[in-house]
Amino acid sequence: MAFERVLTRNVDRPEALTVRGYREGGGYDALARALRLQPEEVIEEVKKSGLRGRGGAGFPCGLKWSFVPRSTDKPKYIVCNADESEPGTFKDRLLMERDPHQLIEGCIIAGWAVGANTTYIYIRGEYTRAAAVLEEAIRDAYDHGVLGDSVLGSSFRHDVYVHRGAGAYICGEETGLLESLEGKRGQPRVKPPFPAVVGAFGCPTVINNVETLCCVTHILLRGADWFKGIGTDERNTGPKLYAVSGHVERPGTYEHPIGIPFQELLDGCGGMYKGRELKAYIPGGASAAMLTAAERDMPLDFDSLAKAGSMLGSAAVIVMDETTCVVRAALRLARFFAHESCGQCTPCREGTNWMRLILRRIESGRGSEADLDLLAHVVPNVGGISLCALGDAAQGPVKSLIAKFGEEIRDNLRERRYPLPRVPFFDLGAVA
Amino acid sequence: MPTVTIDGRSVEVPAGTNLVEAAAKVGVQIPHYCYHPRLSVVGQCRMCLVEIEGMPKLQTACSTQVVKDGMVVRASSPAATEGQRAIMEFLLINHPLDCPICDQAGECGLQDYSFKHGQAFSRFRFEEKRIYPEKERIPLGPTVLLNMNRCIQCTRCVRFTQEISKTGELGFFERGSHAEIGTFPGKPLDNPLSTCVVDICPVGALTSTRFRFAERVWYLDKKPSICTGCDVGCNVTVEHRRGAIKRLKPRVNPEVNDYWMCDFGRATHERSRELPRLLAPRVRRDGHAEPGGWKEALDLVFQALRAKRADGSIAFLGSGNLSTEEAFLLARLADLVESPHRSVWVDSGPARTIPNLRGGITGHDAAPNRRGAELAGLVPKAGGLDAERLLLEGGAAACAVLVVADSDFGKAAHDPKVVERLREARFLVVLGWADSPLARAADVALPVATHPERDGTFVNVENRLQRFERAFPAPSQARPAVEILADLLARFDAKWGSVTSATAFDLLAEEIPALEGLRWATIPPDGVPIVREGAGA
Repeated sequence: MAFERVLTRNVDRPEALTVRGYREGGGYDALARALRLQPEEVIEEVKKSGLRGRGGAGFPCGLKWSFVPRSTDKPKYIVCNADESEPGTFKDRLLMERDPHQLIEGCIIAGWAVGANTTYIYIRGEYTRAAAVLEEAIRDAYDHGVLGDSVLGSSFRHDVYVHRGAGAYICGEETGLLESLEGKRGQPRVKPPFPAVVGAFGCPTVINNVETLCCVTHILLRGADWFKGIGTDERNTGPKLYAVSGHVERPGTYEHPIGIPFQELLDGCGGMYKGRELKAYIPGGASAAMLTAAERDMPLDFDSLAKAGSMLGSAAVIVMDETTCVVRAALRLARFFAHESCGQCTPCREGTNWMRLILRRIESGRGSEADLDLLAHVVPNVGGISLCALGDAAQGPVKSLIAKFGEEIRDNLRERRYPLPRVPFFDLGAVA
Repeated sequence: MPTVTIDGRSVEVPAGTNLVEAAAKVGVQIPHYCYHPRLSVVGQCRMCLVEIEGMPKLQTACSTQVVKDGMVVRASSPAATEGQRAIMEFLLINHPLDCPICDQAGECGLQDYSFKHGQAFSRFRFEEKRIYPEKERIPLGPTVLLNMNRCIQCTRCVRFTQEISKTGELGFFERGSHAEIGTFPGKPLDNPLSTCVVDICPVGALTSTRFRFAERVWYLDKKPSICTGCDVGCNVTVEHRRGAIKRLKPRVNPEVNDYWMCDFGRATHERSRELPRLLAPRVRRDGHAEPGGWKEALDLVFQALRAKRADGSIAFLGSGNLSTEEAFLLARLADLVESPHRSVWVDSGPARTIPNLRGGITGHDAAPNRRGAELAGLVPKAGGLDAERLLLEGGAAACAVLVVADSDFGKAAHDPKVVERLREARFLVVLGWADSPLARAADVALPVATHPERDGTFVNVENRLQRFERAFPAPSQARPAVEILADLLARFDAKWGSVTSATAFDLLAEEIPALEGLRWATIPPDGVPIVREGAGA
């Protein structure tokens, strides 16, 4: 059976930006169905579908919802994490800019399931266009009775607010996001308590990624069994967006069944840029460990990648060809994490910067093999013992750099080949 | 209560106790910087990493609570030790290591823990250290200086201003390895508790303008004492070198000042430097005040008192600076000469509040022990002159002998008009550490020890009896007032000759129901609440 694109079905239908146009394609039917079900039944449906969070951690969505206490005097909140700032990731932007109602529908369903009357969409500050589109769509949804005191004529009230971030990667970490949402300095909280119990403004809160909430819409519309039928196995289900960038002919966001082998994904993008050889790829955004050309048949799903020591993360696939200096690539990422570390916890604040400095030595030709050994010793201490996952994320690419390209780097160091020549991505020679 | 096993030692703790506290109970020290028992738990220094059975990763002990029975914790297993070593290394790679010129040296968390958990060499050899240019001595306020290069970003100070002083002057700015502590624009750190941030700073980032470069801490001798700034009675440690007080630091007492102390209290010892010191007895011969020996001076006082005994014209004016024992002996003296005129003068000061677990404690007097002095008997008997009459209405003119205990009993002691009024007594005896105008006007001036040069007890605003110790001996010929009064009493009755603060207290305790059952030797270190009958606030 041919795979049918569902998450991106409206990206080329500008009429879907309005409630009326969205409804023509079957929009808000999922919400109507959800409202006919009991909240517990909605959660059950999502649980049954096997949907795992699309933001990076891959936590089962239905299970997360079920952690929210049913009987509580406090208000509950849905927070949509739209702070998409992992380097290489641009899938949520597409969803928000081209199909905002799909997300709004997912938010309301999630609200109905856990008993929350408010959704905050925390959107990355730089996403001005997506924020404007969402604001417009939300206004339209209020006008058509989709949002407000009576969602689709029911007695369920739901409001959606867009909150724009101020440009910090760490605000994509769920508790950092909550701090920022509350108007504080965006830095992660110590867990437990988890947001499902003490979240936004001290109240139970569900935090879901944009794509996750969009998936919810389709699970409610087509049923958990349909969703489960897509993917590698019962733990890796559903359609998935892959944001492909780097040395490929046609970079972009692609929807595939989860678990598509990397080579197939690459072929779908027109293959390697100028037909060059693949050297390495990062399967899940800047935090994921690099994989080599030898691992090109890797199914891109949660468990296969975890087994390989990497992760699906946000499914941002960064492809690097033979001209790439892998140390320089790792340095670029290390610089990002050093810049984005919030600075509160010691291993991340000091360790990310130290990694950056060591990589810079090696990359610039001032390093020695001892630097690589030191790096290998420092890296494991950055992740694992940090306060939030940023430390773990920062060590991902560097760890794999040492594990997969250690011998090559040693060889280059011995032969004093660094810095390696820079190969411009676009050949500007013809212009000059 | 759940049981937790830490490094093989089991202990039962109330549910919700964090692992740092639980470990302390079995004598296991878990290193930590950002954790402070009175501040919110942020788990950000990561120093307190421990291994917990059943958890894949190392956990921070400060943010892990004992909830279920049977938790097994390893604080010194290879994994935990490696985690702690890694954190120590991270903390030190950018630290200036300027211990030789750092005020914190000797009481520094980095020094202590690197000795135990660190390594002797640096692997951060090639790169330049991160520095904060021009941020080596930023005055955060009048009392605190910040050296950002030494900071380990534990944010204890920030949380203190948010959660304890509730003034919020400090914030955490920038991010990553450039994260820094600072004040908000136009908002200096000038709350009354501001120097507490220096106490809780585990490193040399925050230093006190008052103590900075005053002394290397390992030269300091320390004695527990009570602050004399007001009647809260904050527990303090007097830190001095050969009798020169270098600083007062709060001593933990959850019932009174908890971990805190106000800036005013920290400066109280400076008072004894502001006024000239009375160092030898002085007697008036033919209208001229001249130095005299102790025997001559006390004999003069004794003769004056004996001559007018039962005359009803001898008055005693005490102060709130007297210890309870001194006040007791003064009252005994009044008993022996059968005088009803005995009273205490205390200036009322600005309200000073110290936060504690019960919300706080506020003092209103400018002296520490009005309640103790009154308890010990310095209240006018029937027909007796009170302090107001003596000071403000010229009651002294009717006195044949006036004994003022404390030449610095309040602002009035420095008011020429008041001194003139008290001088109208035919024979004026002044005990005091300060050579104040009142002491110079006296017929006999007796040099007494200052607060840290004596021992005794105070009764604070909440009627808590607290004992303090002598930190160092009085200089020159000055003697503790208890000794002087005992000598005087012994001239009436030899049995008083050997009285000390300890025996005086025990005698008093036998007499007064409020102190029933108390003995000097068994007064608990954090004081004991007493019930004063019919006493107001």
